[in-house]
Amino acid sequence: MGAVVAGSPIPDVPDLARMRRERHARLQAAMAEQGLDVLVLLGSSAVAYATGAVVPGTDSGRAVLMRPVAVVVRGAPAAHLFTPYPDGAPDDLPADHLHGPLHPELDEGAEALLAAVAELAAPGAALAFDELTHPLGRALAGRDPADAGAVLGAVRLCKTPDELACIRAAQRINELAMSEVEPRLRPGVRQTDLTGVFLRRIFELGATANCIDPIWQVMPPRRADGPWTTHGDIAFPTATTDRLLREGDVVWVDTGISYQGYASDFGRTWIVGTDPRPAARQQAQFRRWREVMAAALERCKPGATALEMGRAATAANDGVKPWIEHFYLAHGVGLDSAEMPLVGTDLGDAFDERLVLQPGMVLVLEPVIWDEGAAGYRSEDIVAVTDDGWEPLSSHPYDPFEGAW
Amino acid sequence: MTTAVGTAALPEGGRIDFARLRAERRRRLLEAMAAHDLDAVILGRPANVLYASGARQLWTAGARPFGPACVVVRETGRAHLLSTWDEGVPAEVAHEDLFGLSWNPVRVIGNVAAVPGLGQARRVGTDGFGIGTPRLVASVAPGAEVADAGPALAAARVVKGAEELSCIETALAVAEGALAAMAGAMRPGITERELVGVHAAALADRGVTAPGSEAVACATPRRGPVRLRRMAGDRLIGAGELVALSANALYCGYEGAVGRAVLAGAAIPTAAQARLVERARDATAAVVAACRPGASGADLLAAWHRTGEASSPEPLAWGLGLGMEAPLISAAGPAAPVGAGAVISEGMVLAVQGWVAEEGAGGALQLDVVHVTGSGPRVLSRA
Repeated sequence: MGAVVAGSPIPDVPDLARMRRERHARLQAAMAEQGLDVLVLLGSSAVAYATGAVVPGTDSGRAVLMRPVAVVVRGAPAAHLFTPYPDGAPDDLPADHLHGPLHPELDEGAEALLAAVAELAAPGAALAFDELTHPLGRALAGRDPADAGAVLGAVRLCKTPDELACIRAAQRINELAMSEVEPRLRPGVRQTDLTGVFLRRIFELGATANCIDPIWQVMPPRRADGPWTTHGDIAFPTATTDRLLREGDVVWVDTGISYQGYASDFGRTWIVGTDPRPAARQQAQFRRWREVMAAALERCKPGATALEMGRAATAANDGVKPWIEHFYLAHGVGLDSAEMPLVGTDLGDAFDERLVLQPGMVLVLEPVIWDEGAAGYRSEDIVAVTDDGWEPLSSHPYDPFEGAW
Repeated sequence: MTTAVGTAALPEGGRIDFARLRAERRRRLLEAMAAHDLDAVILGRPANVLYASGARQLWTAGARPFGPACVVVRETGRAHLLSTWDEGVPAEVAHEDLFGLSWNPVRVIGNVAAVPGLGQARRVGTDGFGIGTPRLVASVAPGAEVADAGPALAAARVVKGAEELSCIETALAVAEGALAAMAGAMRPGITERELVGVHAAALADRGVTAPGSEAVACATPRRGPVRLRRMAGDRLIGAGELVALSANALYCGYEGAVGRAVLAGAAIPTAAQARLVERARDATAAVVAACRPGASGADLLAAWHRTGEASSPEPLAWGLGLGMEAPLISAAGPAAPVGAGAVISEGMVLAVQGWVAEEGAGGALQLDVVHVTGSGPRVLSRA
């Protein structure tokens, strides 16, 4: 019995061609609704959504200079892709829709981009951009394009069944790789050693790219033992180094990889040791975490609001907000590793109250049970909102804590 | 300063003097801001944020939309940083210079507007430009002109100091080690994807993790059309195939990169393959030889053209420092020629990349790193 989203089951294996067709149809419908004729997309995840193109994992500087660009014309059968990575384009992209790189971060590129748009768009067409660059701003010479953000936000909020299957596939790769990392968590191992094991395995297992430098943060017993923070709450996530892990260290793990552009999000609490066993106090933290998850998931169904979910989670933690001050109880995941919907941010209660759960939304729930004096417990699990409730997209054990997802 | 490369701390404080490196970067940035008439800059690109603040940041892949992550005010000389904690933040950025992460645009604007001296700025540069950027600047520096901070940042970053060169050489040594690991693992039957994994593990073994780019592992066929693929596949690599390998590492933000054509298996290259590798090496060397102070991007493109090789579908050269940076010089795509007007200056470090392909033989990749000195190009690559 499979979970159903908007009347369709989530497939075991994503049909990538169908996924691209459905995304394109959604974009076209949203453009028609908002009266836009041409979308010019520069954002990494926006281009991936519109074209299905994948790119290697690169740092921000390279990603900016070597960014693919998508041009979506209303009524056209597919988006145009301008890319330095032509081998990342899907096979079904028509050959005359695949073009060389534009480099819109440079003046030459901005002019070439506008020339390409002029060739593809009818005169006087209503243009929208998701982002600009300074050279593009200059080349537009006073013309003021619309913001494509509303179109993208609308189409990306609720996932198609194939998109959900991609997220599940990414998560599966991430989890399998973690199964090989866990036995390495012995005294004297370096954080970067764990990274090496993890990254090697994700590529072998079919990851498209790595999205974030894996985090293996050692948590201090008390807030004051950790880094100074602007808000007095705990610091997380801090960047990995060659830090040596020691017996008893409580490690909060956070990693994300991509499969066909879709991100995973893996979060667990591990304990370093030759035979790691959580103390009674640590098991109690985990039990509380499970209670908070159960309370939040009880509110996870179409029609419920983010505010209801956040309040239920807080009530299950004796009235203390079970998440870090600068984060959230839950965030979405998709072509970005953190995207809408957000639950419990500093956008406030009014924002959360307006956010009504709908089938196809994805939530990465990451409650944090902080236990001053004994660090705390944090794990992440992913669910899709289905037509009548929720369906897990993650499925990893909680070792060395006892209990199954 | 010692040029021996290594990543461990030394008790006498040898190797790289990071305090001096950060001070030098800050000085160059403030000078560039003055030269470009910028009273303040609002930076969002991680490499620029690192350059201005010296803060170690969490590496994430891809281009994020522009948002304020670091503010530098020329009048005070201070850098203000988006960081909820002080771990990874150098001592010269004080607690009161930090502002925390927020999802609420009103709070973000409030945090940035509170930066001392920003409100009085007449001209504010940003290193990215979103649809909402003019509104952001108007809220935090009322009446200020919005300018492109790109040229000032490029001017500051383009010339490398001694410490920066040491960082690049360390990154280069790591990248060359990762390339050797890939070449060593390349027995017939291994997949391209597995080689990308070998690269990632080889970096981590040397204590660094994040690369400027994941590895290139592209087996090129001995029959039919040849193209350089950057996305590794499940393709099994066959003995006797030329494989394009490119490794890449970041050390304290600075990039090292190397690209080579390696023959798979214990095979002996065919005459055509040997010639191809030689051609890629020679053509790349011709461009390296043109990397002299005062040369232009057009001169580099012409140097490649004169070798008689076809234009590469990839950039020919780019600045190397805190990752890929200006100038980008390329004969590929609708915007070509890109960077023809760029001026090569003394102190720059450039990556020069050649790609030569021929049906029946395969493809050969050659990527070398060169330091532009007053007496000409000095090749830093050793592989």
